[in-house]
Amino acid sequence: MNPGYELPLEEAGYSFGFLDEYAKREVRRAILKAISIPGYQTPYASREMPMGRGFGTGGLQLTLALVGPEDRLKVIDQGADDSVNAVNLRHFVEMTCPGMDTTEHTRAATLIQSRHRIPEVPLRENQILVLQVPYPDALVVVESSEARRKTMHGEGDYARLLTRLYEDIVRFDEITIAHRYPTRIAGHYVIDPSPIPRYDLPKLHRAAALTLLGAGREKKIYAVPPYTDAEPLAFDDVPFRIEDFRDAAGRRCACARCGASDSFLDELIGDDGAKSWQCSDSDYCNEQLAVRNPQEAVHI
Amino acid sequence: MSETASLLDHQSIWGPMAQQRVFRCLLEAFSYPGRIQSASLPALLATLGDSEISLADPDELVAADDWRRLGARREAADKANFVVARGDIDPAFQPAIGTLESPEQGATILLRVRKLGRGAKLKLSGPGIQDAIKLAVGGLDPAWLERRAQWNAGFPMGVDFILVDGEQFAALPRTVSIAGEA
Ligand SMILES: [Zn+2]
Repeated sequence: MNPGYELPLEEAGYSFGFLDEYAKREVRRAILKAISIPGYQTPYASREMPMGRGFGTGGLQLTLALVGPEDRLKVIDQGADDSVNAVNLRHFVEMTCPGMDTTEHTRAATLIQSRHRIPEVPLRENQILVLQVPYPDALVVVESSEARRKTMHGEGDYARLLTRLYEDIVRFDEITIAHRYPTRIAGHYVIDPSPIPRYDLPKLHRAAALTLLGAGREKKIYAVPPYTDAEPLAFDDVPFRIEDFRDAAGRRCACARCGASDSFLDELIGDDGAKSWQCSDSDYCNEQLAVRNPQEAVHI
Repeated sequence: MSETASLLDHQSIWGPMAQQRVFRCLLEAFSYPGRIQSASLPALLATLGDSEISLADPDELVAADDWRRLGARREAADKANFVVARGDIDPAFQPAIGTLESPEQGATILLRVRKLGRGAKLKLSGPGIQDAIKLAVGGLDPAWLERRAQWNAGFPMGVDFILVDGEQFAALPRTVSIAGEA
């Protein structure tokens, strides 16, 4: 760490992390309440950020309120560190937080900001996962009034949401929700877990790491604390299922690049129209490639 | 510690870099209830408070200079966002517990105890705790635990505690169940 940041002077950290200190304290107070009330959408005064909402400003404000010069930040978008959105966010944090390191390796990161995925490698205690959330309220599909939704959340009343879910299942004979599957936290609040696939939900359940979710437009922060139940809504006769990536013969598909058959896969269509699969988590794919084919592995 | 060093140390709790570090300790304390972290009461107040919060100090534990630096609104303990109180005497107020719709309006109580890590053992369980964890607290009137259980009986409403001795603290969010140990 740069010894310059050890200066016990107020000036030493002036402007670190873009947000002013009042904004950071407000976000920090909201984070602690969000952890104390698992799954509750804690309101905060979202600030204007120098990028359009929808580019992860909710997640970014969380990251900026958390980050210090001793952190190693990883930013993921669609599972990859090198997508345009991830690169832009990472550059913004690097620019405004001098001294902080970035990394593409899940295991090396202290702080991970992500959209669409939770890394394949289980997170450890004291790693922090920040998820960007476009639509924070799982009840919005059954109730348009925010005041009534707040009461339903407070009472833990999700009867209408469950009915809606069940109707879908009866109609299509299958869980049709691919992303944002409603998930009950610590036996009370049901959250929209952000656009992660169903595949990632078991990783939230009693995880060692803290997960914070931020919605910039809706000005809400919520949390899944470590070692906390996160249960996707389900029914006795229709259990919750994750994507299983089986081919017509019932075999588990594997990543065409690294060979892993225990990861979330993206479908690729080749020039000849042939389908293949590849890990969506690019760091995991690199890691598996290095383990399985040390000769072919890209230098990482 | 020399007088100069201690003066600088005190000033530094008002600086952004120190507050970022203290906040990460707070984050860890709330994420993993019962684990003891390092920070003093003034450092916690400096990190959490400013002119946008209300603060009650019924036992006069906050120094006049810290009040001035914080700029927090003085409020009665029954209404304040944050309450600083002595843990070795009976609670003499009824803190805000929030509402069903806005449970985050429940107070955060910073409770001054004699010593963390030594004393009566509390057995904690709940979110953030893998199984159960024991936290030893010296100088905590058991009446606080009884009142806490009453205030937190109607989740999601409730109050969140930070126990703090001279240089250390531990958090007890409202979700934590506490059992005494003989
Ligand atoms: Zn792969």
